Amino acid sequence: MIRYLIKKLITLFLLLFLVSITVFSVLFVLPGDPAQIMLGINATPETLANLRSELGLDKPFIIQYVNWITNLLTGKGNRSINYDMPVYDLIVSRLAVTGPLALMAMVFAVILSLPFGIYAARHQNQPGDVTVMFFTQLGLATPEFWLGILLMLLLSVQFGWFSAGGFPGWSADFLGSVKSLILPAFALGVIRASILTRLTRSSMLEVLREDYVRTAWAKGLKERTVIYVHSLRNALLPILTIMGLQLGQLLAGAIIIENVYYLPGLGRLVFNAIGQRDLPVVRDVVLFMAAAVVMVNFIVDLTYAYIDPRIQIK
Amino acid sequence: MKKLFFITFVLALILPFSLAFAETPVSGGSLVVCQPAEPPGLNPTANTAAAIDRVVYSNIYEGLIKVNSNGEFVPGLATKWDVSPDGKGYTFRLRKGVSFHNGEPFNAQVAKWNIERAMAEGTVNPHPEFFRGIDKIETPDDYTLILALKEVDALFIAHMAEGDAVMLPMKGYENAASEPIGTGPFKFVKWIRGDRVEMVRNEKYWNPKLPYLDKVTFKFIGDASAQVAALKAGDIDVIGYILAPELASQMAKDSRFKVFAGTTTAEVIMSTNNKAKPFDNKLVRQAMAYAIDRQAVIELVMFGYGTPIGSHWSPSTPYYVDLTEKFPHNPKKAKQLLVQAGYPNGFEASIKLPAIYSYSKRAGEVIADQLTQVGIKLEIEIVEWGYWLDRIFKQKDYQLTMIGHSEAWDIGIYANPNYYFQYDSQEFRDAYAKALKAPNEAQKAKWFGRCQEIIAEDAVNGFLFSASGLPAMKAEVMNWWENYPTIALDCTEVWIKK
Repeated sequence: MIRYLIKKLITLFLLLFLVSITVFSVLFVLPGDPAQIMLGINATPETLANLRSELGLDKPFIIQYVNWITNLLTGKGNRSINYDMPVYDLIVSRLAVTGPLALMAMVFAVILSLPFGIYAARHQNQPGDVTVMFFTQLGLATPEFWLGILLMLLLSVQFGWFSAGGFPGWSADFLGSVKSLILPAFALGVIRASILTRLTRSSMLEVLREDYVRTAWAKGLKERTVIYVHSLRNALLPILTIMGLQLGQLLAGAIIIENVYYLPGLGRLVFNAIGQRDLPVVRDVVLFMAAAVVMVNFIVDLTYAYIDPRIQIK
Repeated sequence: MKKLFFITFVLALILPFSLAFAETPVSGGSLVVCQPAEPPGLNPTANTAAAIDRVVYSNIYEGLIKVNSNGEFVPGLATKWDVSPDGKGYTFRLRKGVSFHNGEPFNAQVAKWNIERAMAEGTVNPHPEFFRGIDKIETPDDYTLILALKEVDALFIAHMAEGDAVMLPMKGYENAASEPIGTGPFKFVKWIRGDRVEMVRNEKYWNPKLPYLDKVTFKFIGDASAQVAALKAGDIDVIGYILAPELASQMAKDSRFKVFAGTTTAEVIMSTNNKAKPFDNKLVRQAMAYAIDRQAVIELVMFGYGTPIGSHWSPSTPYYVDLTEKFPHNPKKAKQLLVQAGYPNGFEASIKLPAIYSYSKRAGEVIADQLTQVGIKLEIEIVEWGYWLDRIFKQKDYQLTMIGHSEAWDIGIYANPNYYFQYDSQEFRDAYAKALKAPNEAQKAKWFGRCQEIIAEDAVNGFLFSASGLPAMKAEVMNWWENYPTIALDCTEVWIKK
């Protein structure tokens, strides 16, 4: 277990190193000068030069890279050009929106997908199965932003049940904050639920054909025991893998939905930062996202062993 | 007795009407204003981004002079100013008893420090040239500021009224970008990055009657349909800047809301690289000017919400000359000029459109169609903003592009041959120099007018339209500016009808 952890940690650092070089080089060669974007098109060349040297943009590639990494490793941190505050604080405050949003979306996805997937598998090729499959097709084909706008127009503008977007802040209004995440989380959850439903169905179908399930039926076990204890646990592995990937992807930014509902989340932060060439923010957030995806997958690895004791973590 | 009765009777009749016409503002209430772009910092003296001025100008920060809703220069922190007969000396009388939100007093020393800071070596003020014409600053007492200019500067007062010249406190200025401290009617409370900026009523504002509102929140919503949904759902009260024009007429019909189709200082132009072939040929540029149907552009791009312009000057700015008839829509004439220029079969060119501005993308498509009709085939390329600034604006690697220039009084950019238009005209530079040194109103009007004419005649760029500000709001929101003669969403006198 310890060796496994060390191995994972080394991979994590190696990966982050590669990501850091890539993101730094890409941003370095990307056309667009942060100082120019900040000061606008009527700024004088003198002011531009002053700002560039203030931001350290006039230094060579290697020095800029080393400065960035040193700031990260020594805990000094980097500062956002646009927001004039530590990037670390920005990430933490944005994660307070994106984190719960991603989790809520996954909860919606799981609540919808597992029952429907199991139901479809149990009634393969019957009308119920066909109906579920039809709706998953529809869910897969529906663009997130469109569903988001549709939900907003119907439930916020027409019925006034939800606010049409925005985020009041956890400490200011806890219930309001939960409420403001429901619609976007649902919009995000539907497409993921569609994928998971189909996956649950096919995975369950495979397991249900196994010999030991037939034995379980033959023993006269109750349907609930056969499905939920004997079959589902075995069918869960591929589902978990995909769920891990989905969660990582959601953490890395539900950019479009965050824009539709103008939620101050991580995706919108990095989206705007790219447009504004707020380089310290883009770099740090990309690194953070890479680390988050690796961490989520690591947790998924650990749960494998929990669900299927035959898998040992070495 | 009879007379008295009659007078009382008449007064009683008139009174209700006069009350109805001059509605008295009521104090209190909070207002949520939405604007599309989140400002990059909140310090207008370190960044020209229009999004900053829209949040802080006249709300949090004030300068010596303000621009009011009619575009007039009115007293801000200076109660009056006198200009010496030679036009080089300015004496500002400063307002007494003004303090910053952190308690620091405002006086002549503070004003002097602010100006010196803007003009110093190593300044990050984007427009040090606004201040560098100042030769000497004197402060004979706490409330008198005397500035001696090296030369006459016709735009000096206009520049002192811009966001670049607002007054910051001497102690609390360092964090101006994240925690602004000014003298304005509203005090900064917090900025939740990515979401909103909150400000509350400044109880110690120098005008005890203002502001009417207790709280103002600026919310940043980029998506046009999300803005409208938020207004309809009651999450916001005002769409402060540019409601999507395709949604404007529908909103205007709804009695719960009002939409203002006022003017702005922004000129939307098809910028042309005057050194790139074939646009270095004046005849080609004039041919394009004839080929463009401005009214159709306004209809198709802005759904009618815009005013055609014939030069780089907004109709809302003083000394405007209407030059829209210089090159009326005339495709035949355009073709003739192309033949004269040596392009009887037209030519192919590319137009690069910045993706962040939807008007720019739409206008590009409409113009490409109009130019095709005279034989000029445009290849449209949509580019990202950072790319635009780097390749087009800085490196001038382009033929045509489409952009709105939002600052007022910015015709001086045509005097710079290195500006991205690459327009080099001694005649214009002379006229502009004369305009800047014009000693009186008549001379200013003459020479600023001449400047407009020269660039119109040279068809430097495709001059298209001045966009409407298109603010939309709930019907109860009163006193919102109809026109935007400066870049601001000033909430000082806004109130909410109960």
